[in-house]
Amino acid sequence: MSLFGSMNRMVTITINKNQYLAEEGEIFLLTAMRLNIDIPHLCYEKALEPYGACRLCMVDLVTCGKTTMTPACTIKVHNGLEILTDTPQIIKHRNLLFELYLAEAPKSEVIREMAAKYGVKKTRFLKKIVHEDPLLGKCILCGLCVRVCTEIMGTCAINFINRGPYTVINTPFFEQNPDCAGCAACAQVCPTKAIVFEDRDAERVMQSWSGTTVPLATCSSCKKSFAPEKLMHKVLDKLDPAIIEEIKSLCPECRRQHITRKVIRKVPKS
Amino acid sequence: MRIQTSEDLDSIRKRGLQKIQPGRPRIGVGTSSCGIAVGGIALYNRMHKIIQMKNLDISLVKTGCIGFCKEEPIVSVNIPGKALVLLRKVQEDDAERIISLALEGDVPSDLVLCKISDWDHITGNLVYGNGFDTIPEYGEIPFFAHQKKVILRDSGLINPEDIDEYIGIGGYSAAYQALTSMEPDTIIDEVKKSGLRGRGGAGFPAGLKWEITKKAPGEEKYIVCNADEGDPGAYMNRNEMESDPHMLLEGMLIGAFAMGVHEGLIYIRAEYPLAIERLMLALDQARTYGLLGKNIFNTGFDCDIRIATGAGAFVCGESTALAASIEGKTGRPRLRPPRLTEKGVFGKPTDLNNVETWCNVPVIIAKGALWYSSIGAKGNTGTKVFSLVGKVDNIGMVEVPLGTSLHSIIYDIGNGGAQGKEVKAVQTGGPSGGCIPVRLFDTPVDFESLNQVGTMMGSGGLVVMDEDTNMVDIARYFINFASGESCGKCVPCREGLKHMLLILNRIIAGKGTREDLDLLRELADTVQKTSLCGLGQTAPNPVLTTMQYFKEEYDALISSEA
Ligand SMILES: Cc1cc2nc3c(=O)[nH]c(=O)nc-3n(C[C@H](O)[C@H](O)[C@H](O)COP(=O)(O)O)c2cc1C
Ligand code: SF4
Ligand code: SF4
Ligand code: FES
Ligand code: FES
Repeated sequence: MSLFGSMNRMVTITINKNQYLAEEGEIFLLTAMRLNIDIPHLCYEKALEPYGACRLCMVDLVTCGKTTMTPACTIKVHNGLEILTDTPQIIKHRNLLFELYLAEAPKSEVIREMAAKYGVKKTRFLKKIVHEDPLLGKCILCGLCVRVCTEIMGTCAINFINRGPYTVINTPFFEQNPDCAGCAACAQVCPTKAIVFEDRDAERVMQSWSGTTVPLATCSSCKKSFAPEKLMHKVLDKLDPAIIEEIKSLCPECRRQHITRKVIRKVPKS
Repeated sequence: MRIQTSEDLDSIRKRGLQKIQPGRPRIGVGTSSCGIAVGGIALYNRMHKIIQMKNLDISLVKTGCIGFCKEEPIVSVNIPGKALVLLRKVQEDDAERIISLALEGDVPSDLVLCKISDWDHITGNLVYGNGFDTIPEYGEIPFFAHQKKVILRDSGLINPEDIDEYIGIGGYSAAYQALTSMEPDTIIDEVKKSGLRGRGGAGFPAGLKWEITKKAPGEEKYIVCNADEGDPGAYMNRNEMESDPHMLLEGMLIGAFAMGVHEGLIYIRAEYPLAIERLMLALDQARTYGLLGKNIFNTGFDCDIRIATGAGAFVCGESTALAASIEGKTGRPRLRPPRLTEKGVFGKPTDLNNVETWCNVPVIIAKGALWYSSIGAKGNTGTKVFSLVGKVDNIGMVEVPLGTSLHSIIYDIGNGGAQGKEVKAVQTGGPSGGCIPVRLFDTPVDFESLNQVGTMMGSGGLVVMDEDTNMVDIARYFINFASGESCGKCVPCREGLKHMLLILNRIIAGKGTREDLDLLRELADTVQKTSLCGLGQTAPNPVLTTMQYFKEEYDALISSEA
């Protein structure tokens, strides 16, 4: 079955009473997305372990005629899997969760649009008062930034602080964190675009992370700043030293030109 | 010395009995946390000083607690050959006369609670003697009469800081029997047959969990004791560890052998310093006797148990958060499966059981599954220890067979409301449980029946409310607790409980509306159904049950113009 370009066995599953072929072992949320069956979700990212915190992707898992509400991001596809994604129960709970999110992140456009898409336009709960919030009243504590920073970048520059309703995310003691590489992977992955940073001259300021400031490397050719120095070191450590010498001080644009000029004669254009 | 043979065990046993009945007066002072709170240690110190100064022929020991918290500090006086007498509410200034009367073979009559002529330690029997005809027997005191002491059989009678006394009344003989003459699988079978269910709240069959852990692939595995006890009003586990720490260790040793595990951990909250101290001492003593360590009882079986302390977060009692906390990570629950039996502490298969679950094990092996399963009700065998607190007359630690009615616990044992007030309801299961109204007090206390009335067993706190208690306020109290203890990972628990609390505050302030009530119920339902872990899933129970059983109290608070 190369339909999805996969190597795994294809099995039959039932979603909302319709049968589909799906790849065994795949995370059901991904399967559903591919089949254009809509399930809202905020805390799942393919490169990371399922986390199950946003609870928006809850579906009804049917086993032996009994249903249990389970997050779709935690279900693995197997033969005979039966799922209901839009029962009145699911919709009811999901809508209330949207109301909670609207109150928690009153400034988030993404949340507002997402909730509206499911018919939730306002919240009956008291909205959080946003005052000097480094995450601009948009964070929904999905933990993606923390997980990316820790699990993918291996940096662990930010983490959860406090617990329960007082939980926030920031650097330890709300101080500039020298461990931060300034890679901004956190900002990339943030579903609500809550994390802000700015490149000023030769520095990158992670405004959301207590103003952590990291130097940017300057291109030796065009003299523009391009990437955080620390990130460059991390990446370059993984490359062939010979190549590094040649390109290490070039920004992506100049690097491309440099390499293109070098290889253009060798590789015939197809 | 190391105990290797049954003769070794016997000789220590004799020594232990000598200590319990030393042939001269013995005075025991209740020094569990409850006793200490009302002056137990000061009393002990005063007595100690007097005995030392005058060089008197009296044996003075610290004991655990006999369970009647209301009457603490409780002192036991045993004159050789005579019944053991329990004295109640003893003050420091009573020390002098208790000692001098004991030397004369008597006790101060104004302090007398009751006497014990003989005692069934189940693993052994102690005859104290007769005398003191006018003093009522232990079994004639209503608070004790309706109890059945299996787990608390030694509490308050032996010195928890001396392993000899535990061995004296038959301790570690079950472990000896298990390790030297039973197949590990036979032990697991016995525990399965006994019907023992986890005492941490959910009631999962203990033998089955052991079997699953044993069958899990991998060499390195752990057994863990959950001593994170953190629900308001619950202190059974603390008392069990303070009064009889070796019962827990013996249970864990038998379990470790049955599952083929060599490392045990006790996860205990740092707020229990006395329990930690007594456990440390117990571990040292057990190691000295070779009951832990290498080649236990000369069988070639190695096992050690260590203590891991937690910073007292309620959520760390949840199995996956507990495992994370032991590993030094933040105590936040993770998705299950995998369960701990598959991927537990340090990623290894782990069997997690509550303190009291472990404490049940020695007696099951000593007396057999048949004996054990004859106690309690079908599907709910054995006894359960409860801490009976709140607005009840007799506050204390009570142990009854599962299936006993709430009525019997609260009226027969607890003697109804404190200061003659009417009892209105009881909260079982702490913040995870619910409030049961008086009219449902016929409900037998077992896992299923409690679920049916909207609450749960939990670990065993019973908080009694009387006519003066406002039930909406009770609901708010528990939601406030749960919200503060939420780990903050998932939105229904983190945000949902917060808004439930805000709505309840509004209602109590007299500013609530009908819509608030509907929203509260709706939100409670969503939090219950969509939370990630047990904390959030059960936290709305106090609200849901009070709304169901005491709706009029909510209605009364809703402003009329709304
Ligand atoms: C929020 C939360 C707190 C818990 N606290 C405790 C606790 O303090 N002690 C305990 O034994 N079990 C506690 N549990 C239950 C444990 O997760 C687990 O089920 C239990 O320790 C298993 O032991 P058992 O089978 O012997 O009952 C808690 C569960 C939750 C969800
Ligand atoms: S900042 Fe963004 S990625 Fe990080 S927890 Fe908040 S919403 Fe998630
Ligand atoms: S239910 Fe509460 S305690 Fe459990 S994971 Fe969610 S936020 Fe944490
Ligand atoms: S995406 Fe599944 S719980 Fe968040
Ligand atoms: S009498 Fe000691 S715990 Fe109560």
